[in-house]
Amino acid sequence: MKNLKSIIQYECITSFKYVWMFYAIQYALVAFITIIIGLAMGTFEDVGTNCLEINTLIYIGVLGVLGFKDDFKMLIQNGFTRKYIFTATFSMFGFISGTMALTDTIVGNLIHHFNNGYSTLYGGIYGYDHLFMNWLWLFLLYVTFCCLLYLIILIINKTGKNVSVILGVVFGGIVLLIVALIRYVFTGETIHNILEFLMKAMGFMADGTINYVFPAITLFVLVAILGAGSYAIIRRTELK
Amino acid sequence: MNAIQIKNVTKKYKDVTALDHVSFSFDYGKIYGFLGRNGAGKSTLINIIANRIFADCGEITIDDIPAEENMKIHDKIFCMSEADLYDESLKVKELFKWIDRFYDDFDKAKAFEIAGKFNLDTNRKFKVLSKGYQSIFKLTVALSLNVPYVIFDEPVLGLDANHRELFYELLLKDYEANERTIIIATHLIEEVANIIEEVILIDKGKVLLQDNVGSLLETGYSVSGLAHEVDTYCADKNVIGFDELGNLKIAYVLGEKTPLPKTGNLSLSAMNLQKLFVKLTEKGGN
Repeated sequence: MKNLKSIIQYECITSFKYVWMFYAIQYALVAFITIIIGLAMGTFEDVGTNCLEINTLIYIGVLGVLGFKDDFKMLIQNGFTRKYIFTATFSMFGFISGTMALTDTIVGNLIHHFNNGYSTLYGGIYGYDHLFMNWLWLFLLYVTFCCLLYLIILIINKTGKNVSVILGVVFGGIVLLIVALIRYVFTGETIHNILEFLMKAMGFMADGTINYVFPAITLFVLVAILGAGSYAIIRRTELK
Repeated sequence: MNAIQIKNVTKKYKDVTALDHVSFSFDYGKIYGFLGRNGAGKSTLINIIANRIFADCGEITIDDIPAEENMKIHDKIFCMSEADLYDESLKVKELFKWIDRFYDDFDKAKAFEIAGKFNLDTNRKFKVLSKGYQSIFKLTVALSLNVPYVIFDEPVLGLDANHRELFYELLLKDYEANERTIIIATHLIEEVANIIEEVILIDKGKVLLQDNVGSLLETGYSVSGLAHEVDTYCADKNVIGFDELGNLKIAYVLGEKTPLPKTGNLSLSAMNLQKLFVKLTEKGGN
């Protein structure tokens, strides 16, 4: 267990130090652009931004990719098994996502409190009534994004560049096929049922109310699926 | 059994067989030279032992514990790689700190002491170190870990002569104080010839030779003289190679020496490890 603790600490601490750098750069840029545009336009009334969480999603995506590329090499060099590496990487995803979701929830809601014009990602969709659900939703969204990018980079590493391009094309074809099915094959009732299911999965019930738990469950299921897929690949991944 | 046992290991890459049903063992408490030409399968086998890649079939055990994906061997073996696998953004001292946390038997004080002997600046990041100092960092880690099996894959890559000497000196001093198994995979055969006790020679994915260095050098010799005299003398011997110049010939032989014929001008001389290696592996291109 000492080994597992040390590898989780390594993953979390070495990734965490960049989080504050990211926020410092992000808020400095937002402040700088706001001041420049405000000065140029002569007023600060219509100057502003929304959904800064999108930037975190990009950062988290990079983390997902690097989670494999650099750390896998370092940890396999130090004799850790793939099971330990997977556990540590997912612990890091959870830790970083939880911390960044907390920061984004607090900062986003504070900005919204003082400036109604600013809208957070969660607030724009579900409103500003549930701070904990806001954090939980953002946390699960970030973890989902990490897992998705982690799975993609594992697939690219496993299959190689050419096969990955072919897989990308096949994936694009499947998307087109689904669009074609919706447009030309499925009946109106079927499409309505699919949309209703998807809306329900995101918490929007047929009677117009919002269920705040459903989107969390949906994201949790996605994390479980992506995590299982990642583990299935990493357990046979070789160092290249 | 205290040993790294390699049992019937095969590894293929598309149409290339890197290892072909390889079986042998590295016994505890010896210094091995693991030799082979480029592409012979050395690094492939080392990577399988270190659980970095998987064998297609066969098994590797360390002290009877299966090595594949098994944390029970974590504190038994360490592999210093030719490839740079460390986190390049970390400083040397930070890497020491993390390795100290990863392993129960890492001697951090010894690591700093060795780093000092090599003039390795522990405040520098790994990525800004020269190739030679990156090798020194990796050697330092390997020498500071008290695990029973240590593998050095091309340990002196990029090191100048002074640093190479220092490494061999530290390695032997460490081995004297703390007996364990040391496996050195290298192309610089003559440099390690005086250090290693056992040789394992691998070629085209198969073990060509496994023997004690002393007995190998005793049984390996060369016969030189006129070609027809050399051929006659070597008729019933295990000749591993020839060199020819005009009517003169040198035959490289493995086996017991028999007395030279009284007539003729044949002469016998000892064969060094490098020559033996070259002659055993030169078939298939120089």
